[in-house]
Formats: sequence, C-alpha cells, structure tokens
Amino acid sequence: MRRWAAKVRDGIEGLRRSDQLLLVLSLVIGALVGLVVVAFILLTGRLAARMYPAGGSGWRRILLPVLGSLSTGYLLWRYFPFARGSGIPQTKFALFVNDGRILFRTVLGKFFCCSASLASGIALGREGPSVQVGAGIASVVARNLGLNAKQVKSLVPVGCAAALAAAFNTPIAAVLFSLEEIMGDLHASVLGSVVLSSATSWMVLHLVLGDDPLFHVPGYQLAHPVEFAVYAVLGVVGGLGSVAFVKLLLRLRAWFATWPQSTVWFQPVVGGLTVGVMGYFVPEVMGVGYNNVDKVLNGGVVLKLVVLFAVLKIIATAVCYASGNAGGIFGPALFIGAMMGAGVGSVAHTLFPQYTAGPGAYALVGMGTAFAGIVRTPLTSVIMIFEVTRDYNIIVPLMISNLIAFFISQWLQKEPIYEALAHQDGVHLPTAHSRDLAERSQVRQAMREPAVVLSPHEDVTTALGQVKGGPFDAWPVVDGDGLWGMVRNRELEQAASNGPASQKLAEILAASSPGWTPGGEKLPHVHPDHSLSLALERMGSTGLNVLPVVSRANVRDLMGIVILDDVLAAYGVAKRGNAMVPHE
Amino acid sequence: MSETTASASSGQFLRTLSLVALAIAAIFAADTFLAKSEEAESRIEADRLFKLGQSLLDRGNSVEAVERIKDALEIERGNRDYQRLLAQAQLTAGQLADAETTLDDSLRVDSTDGPANLTMARVLVKEGRIREAISFYHRAIYGQWNDDAQANRLKVRFELIDLLARQDSKEELLAELLEVQDQMPKDASARVRIGRLFLAAGSPVRAADVFRGVLREDNSADAYTGLGDADFARGDYRAAESDFESALRLKPEDPAATKGLDLSSRVLTLDPAVRGIGAAERFRRSRILLQMALDAGACVNPPPEDLLDQAEKTLKERVNLDGQYNATETNLDLAGQLWQARIAGCKPAPDPSDPLGLVLAKAAAQ
Repeated sequence: MRRWAAKVRDGIEGLRRSDQLLLVLSLVIGALVGLVVVAFILLTGRLAARMYPAGGSGWRRILLPVLGSLSTGYLLWRYFPFARGSGIPQTKFALFVNDGRILFRTVLGKFFCCSASLASGIALGREGPSVQVGAGIASVVARNLGLNAKQVKSLVPVGCAAALAAAFNTPIAAVLFSLEEIMGDLHASVLGSVVLSSATSWMVLHLVLGDDPLFHVPGYQLAHPVEFAVYAVLGVVGGLGSVAFVKLLLRLRAWFATWPQSTVWFQPVVGGLTVGVMGYFVPEVMGVGYNNVDKVLNGGVVLKLVVLFAVLKIIATAVCYASGNAGGIFGPALFIGAMMGAGVGSVAHTLFPQYTAGPGAYALVGMGTAFAGIVRTPLTSVIMIFEVTRDYNIIVPLMISNLIAFFISQWLQKEPIYEALAHQDGVHLPTAHSRDLAERSQVRQAMREPAVVLSPHEDVTTALGQVKGGPFDAWPVVDGDGLWGMVRNRELEQAASNGPASQKLAEILAASSPGWTPGGEKLPHVHPDHSLSLALERMGSTGLNVLPVVSRANVRDLMGIVILDDVLAAYGVAKRGNAMVPHE
Repeated sequence: MSETTASASSGQFLRTLSLVALAIAAIFAADTFLAKSEEAESRIEADRLFKLGQSLLDRGNSVEAVERIKDALEIERGNRDYQRLLAQAQLTAGQLADAETTLDDSLRVDSTDGPANLTMARVLVKEGRIREAISFYHRAIYGQWNDDAQANRLKVRFELIDLLARQDSKEELLAELLEVQDQMPKDASARVRIGRLFLAAGSPVRAADVFRGVLREDNSADAYTGLGDADFARGDYRAAESDFESALRLKPEDPAATKGLDLSSRVLTLDPAVRGIGAAERFRRSRILLQMALDAGACVNPPPEDLLDQAEKTLKERVNLDGQYNATETNLDLAGQLWQARIAGCKPAPDPSDPLGLVLAKAAAQ
C-alpha cells in the first residue's frame, strides 16, 4: 500500500515537473469549462422557459426584466462586484494586471447572476460571461494546483477558448478569439494548449447537446459578382452601425457613472425597465434572440421589421450593459449584424433581384460584419461565420464586408470597446497600439558598430591592451570566418593573472563552457528584428551589458552590437550618473 | 524538510485534481439531466404544435397550420413526419415553392420516402410539371411506407392512373392498369372503375373482361353499363344493346345506360352489315347513310361539287333488285368519302359517338 502511494506520489510529482503539465491541464480545463458552459446554456434556457411559458401574459415581459435586473443588480453590488458586465475586460484585467487571478466567488456570481439576468429577458449575450467563467475556472484550478503566476496566466486563455468553443460551437474561432482579443498576440506560445482545450470543450458540447448547430443556415450562394459591391455597402452600414452602438453604450455608461455611488445596485433596473417596455410591444428585442436570428437567416422577416429590431436592439443592449447588468455583447452584436445584413439584403434584392441572393445570405455576412465592427476582431469574425456556415463560398464576401466595417469602426471610434470600457473603470490594459509600439522597438534601432573587435588568435596581453578602460563587459571575437563569441573582461583578467601571457583568445573561449564551438548555440546574441525588451532580458540572463547582433541567415555574421545604455535610450530613458532619468 | 513540503504540495495537487474530476463527473451528470429534460419538454411542445397544425389543416385553415408546423419543426428539426405534414399544409395553402423546398430537404435525407415523394408529385401536378410528377409518383410507388405499404402503393398507383387518364396518356395509362390488374380489389365499384379506365386507355377487350368478372359475382347495373360501353367500343352493337337493356332493368333511370341503349339502337338501325337483314334492307340502309352523309357534308367549304353531284345523282337513281348489291357498296363508298370530307372540312369535329361515323367506320373496316 505504501509502495503504491509512493508510486502515485512519484507519478504526480513527475507530472508536476513535466513540460506536458500545461497540455494535460488544458484537456482537463477544456472538459470542465465545456461542461460548465453547457450547464450555463441549459440553465438559462430552462429558466427562460419557466419565466416565459407559451401563451403567457404580456405583462410578464415588463415585470420579469425589472425583477431580474433588480435582484441580480443587488447581488452583483453586494457580493459579486467583479461579475458585472461582459467579462472580457475583467478577464483581460486579470490576465495583464492581476497575474491571472480570478476569484471563485466571481465565477459563481457570473454564472448565476447571468443565468437569472439573461433568462429574465435582459438584452445581453451569454458568450462574454462564459469567457470570464471559463477563465475564472482555469485560474481557480491552476492556483489550487499550486502553479506559479506565469503558469496561471498561461492557463487563463485556455479557459477562455474552451468557454467560447462551447458557447458559440465554433472551436477555431474560439482559438483565434483567445489569441486575437484576449492575448492580443496571434503567435502566443500557449497556442497548443488553447487549441487542445477548445477542441476538448467542443467535444464535450457535442457529447451532451448533440450536433445541433447554433444557427440553422440555408446554403449560401453568391448570385453574381456584382454582389461584392453590395457586400461592400453592407460593410459600410455595418461599420457605421457598430460605431453608433459602441458610442451609445460608452456614453450611457459614462452617464451612469455620474450617478451617486449609492444607486449602483439599483441602476440595472433602468436596463430592465427599458427592455421590458420595448419587449411588451416587440418581444423579439428581449434576451439573446438567437431564434429570431435564425428566422432572419432563413429569410423569414420583412424589411421594416429587421430595421426596427436592429434599432431597438442597439438601444436595449446599450442601456442594459451601461446600467450594469450582467451579460455580454457578442450575442447582441450578432443579432444587430443579422438585422442590418437582412436590411441591406432586402433592399438590394428588391432593386436587383437577378444579381443578388436573398436577405438571408446578407444577414449571415452581416453577423460577422457587426462582430468585426464592434468587437474589432476581424479574423475571428470571418472564421466564426465560416464555421457557422461551413461554406467556403462565404469567405470572400465576409472578408470584404468585415474589413470595411473594421476600418470604419477603427476610424470613427479610435479606442476598441473593451479597452474603452476598461478605461472608464480606470484600468489601462495593454492596448493594440502599445503592443504595436513594443513590437516596433527593435534591436536594429539601437545597434551600433563595435568599437573594438578582437581576433581569436590574439594573445591575452594584446587583447587586454586593446580593451582596457572600455565601458563594456565583453568584446566580440571575430576572424575571417565570422564571429567566434564574446570574451568577457573577467575572463581576460583571470587568464592574464592565472595563465601564460601568450594564451590565445580562442583557448579562453573554448575553456569558457564545455561543448563550446565558434559561433555555436552557447553564444549569447540577438537579431536585428528582435525586440529591445528581449535584448534586455538576455542582458539580464547573461549578466552582460552588451550583446552581439548577428544575422538570422548566418549567426557568425556580426552585424553590430547592442549595449544597455542604447536600449534604455531607445525607451526614452538616459543614464546620468547612477540615476535613471527620462531621456531628454 | 523539503521532502515534507514536496509531499504537502503533492497532496494539494492531488486533492485539487480529485476535486476537479469529481466536479467534471457531477456537472456532466447535471448537464445530462438538464439536456434530457429539455429534450423531453421540447418534444412535448413540438408534438403539441404538430397536433395543433394537423387539426388546423383538417379544419381547412392551412395557412395557420403551416405556421404551427413550422414552429414544431423549429424545435424538432429533421423530424420527417413534421416535414411531410408541413409540405402537405403548404401544398393545401398554395405555397407550392415552399412545399417543394420542404420536400427537397426531406428527400435529400431519404429519397425513398414514399409519402414525401407522393406529396412532391402532387405539388408538381399543381405546378403543371406533369412529366416530373409522374416520375415522383413512380418513386412513391416503389418507395418506403411505414405502414400498410401495399395498400398505400396501390392508392398512389390509382392516383397516377387518374392523372394519366386526365392527361389522355393512353399508353402509359394502359401500362399502369396492367400493373394493377393482378391486384384487383374486391370492391365491385373499384373494379368497375378499373374497367372504365381500361376503356379510357383504349383497351375495350380488357375492360369487357373486367366487367364480366364483376358480373360473375354481382348483378351490377354499373358493370352492365360498362360492359355495354366496352362492347360498343369493340363494335358489337347488338351485345352492347343487350347490356344496356340489362343495366336499365336493374337501374331504370340510369342516364348512361339510357344514352348507351339509344346510341346502340340507332347504330343497329343504320348498320347495313348487321346480321339477319336481307339485301333490300341493306340497300335501304345504305341510302339512308348516304343521305345523312350528304347532309353532313353540306358544311364543307369549298364544297366537293363532284362528290355531292355524284351522291345526289346516286340517290335519285332507281335500282332494280339485281343491282342492289353493287348499289349498296357504291352508296357506302360515297357516304364514306363524304364523311371524310366533312371531318376534314367542317368545324367542330363530329362527335366520336355519332352513329353515322360509327357505322361508316365499321363498314370501312370490313
């Protein structure tokens, strides 16, 4: 028994130390998050079916959103303050500011408050909250497993991808969203884990709920190449609609922020009442509204109605979100996009029936267009709609429309919605712009010609004479074949005091570490396209204030050197005496 | 000390993993329960809507029925019974394109679905696409039927036969009738109907067999009338007269039998080739026929002067007893030519049951 326990302990210890730990945890988190999101979807649906039985009175549509927003508003204010809103900015805050830390209480609050809120008819979506729940579960599990902050942070996007894969039934788009929006880096090192968790979650979804797609779409077809122009118009309409929605939401939220702090618990009722009054006359505005999106995709709603639905949904979602209800904007973005698309499609089909497909095809593309315009993830939006339709023909119209909407949105609303929301809360998340700037600060901007280049065939005494009094910790050693390595001052001084004066630099370099070869793997270096932050990291890890800059094509081709002072200067910080002051 | 710490953190790691495993099992159970209960509730709701749609359709409110069945289908997508009923409701509501789309979806999943193929055939008939409809009728006949397949297939076959009869596609109609000949129903009226269809398909001999088969078991006026028509179509006017008389004995006021008897009697009084009459009577009848043909040919424009003159001249001629045989032949020949001229030169075309035409056609065939 003891031996068996020891074996288990060894196995667990082996797993803990293994490089594969994150991959194994990605599977576990994928399954767990997938199941929780499925429970979230089912619970919301069951609650909604109980609250709004077939043939129920119209007054329910006013009363229930008010009661739902009142009760969840109080709970959010009193017990779950971090569970308000969508969940995406909160997840990014946890990831970039809080070492991936999301409280279990927040996960519970988000799950139950959102279920109640969405079931009562609040015009928000379930996908954003799912992302926060997924990220929260990943964070809670990782921290309880005793993982370090870096590992916890790398599991947060894993939870996000799993949540979105289950919520939208689109595993590839979930991976892209996790990288594009949450991480802000499509080349993130967690790609493998994210893919694994997304696939696992998607499998769990299908295991429990079957193969029913989120939307039932008829076969897409491009009736005529002229349609590309109509899709461009849809891109413009979608872009303008998205900007209108985002601006309205942000202004309303700023306005609610001016209300006295004591009203925070009550503010969601404004959203509940707004959606209730609208829903009394137009029930389609209430809730997530995917069944209405389904109808529009199948060409079942007339022009006047789709325009009315789009306008009312924009207002209802903006008020519900701004007033502090729990719920996301993904679902409403798809709803608004489908309605705008169907509107443009109806007009185009009426004007040019021979050259255009029915409104359903435009509604489908419109969904992606609004998503690209509002959430500002153009790649995710294209892939998401592609995954919904599984039809390759839709890719080009989607790209045209989505990119136009994306650029219009970027032009008229500088700050993306999630960054703007975080800003309103006093949080400065790393923006796409700042990431872009960081990427633009490359080694090539700070590199310089080496003042002294030593030869491997020089002896120690000659070399010391050349570098004496120099400001650097190490010096490049180069011959006709290229760079040999960097010889440190310390190594030269040690060789001079301990060995013969005729000792060559080549011998010193060879003795510096076992298995050393000229220009080999052990050579600390950077490439011109590396970021300055990486150069700083490498300086830190090697203990050198200078690194050779070598060509990617041939690491023995010395292109220059980069020194600490130049790196700091490139960041706008100059060294004056011992103190670091801003660079003038 | 470090071993104790490692053991403690291993314990925490193991505890957390165990809790996660338990949570996965528990949430999976909860999800499965929720999903099953939702599925059951959805099925009940879909069934309610389906039944509502069915009753609306039965009451003739097909437009409302379409909406309710669509609602049911939205809950239980791919339910073939719902799809079939929706297509029927759409067909009844005149939403032919929608019905076709619904059936296309259904048949894409199972192209051998008998009821779906039958509804598609009906939709196509309404759209006037008869050739395609006939093809779908055949698919329905050879397709899958969940219950009472043989009776359903026979029913579809009769529907197709009716269509072919309406379209006057005699060869196809006869081919279909031959298929059902071996599966003759017991019901006398259905067999009379088949006999009638054989007649419509231009097969009076088979029709007569069918009617005789009925009469062997049942003294039916309709069967006698049908047999009369079959005998009449075969040119056996005497037998036809007898059949119609039998029919009228059983059903004295029957208009079809009355008309048939009248027609066959008239033909028999005109027919110069009828058995049991002498040369003088044959000659007399031939003169009557020639006179009738002359009257009928008066409408021909431009008039066939030579033929008319010849006919008039022939009618005026006095013929002795020896010359009556040849004169009979001449009269019938002239009457036949005049009748052909009337058919070609006058509108409307003569009634196919015109006694003159029938007698002359019989004479020409002999």
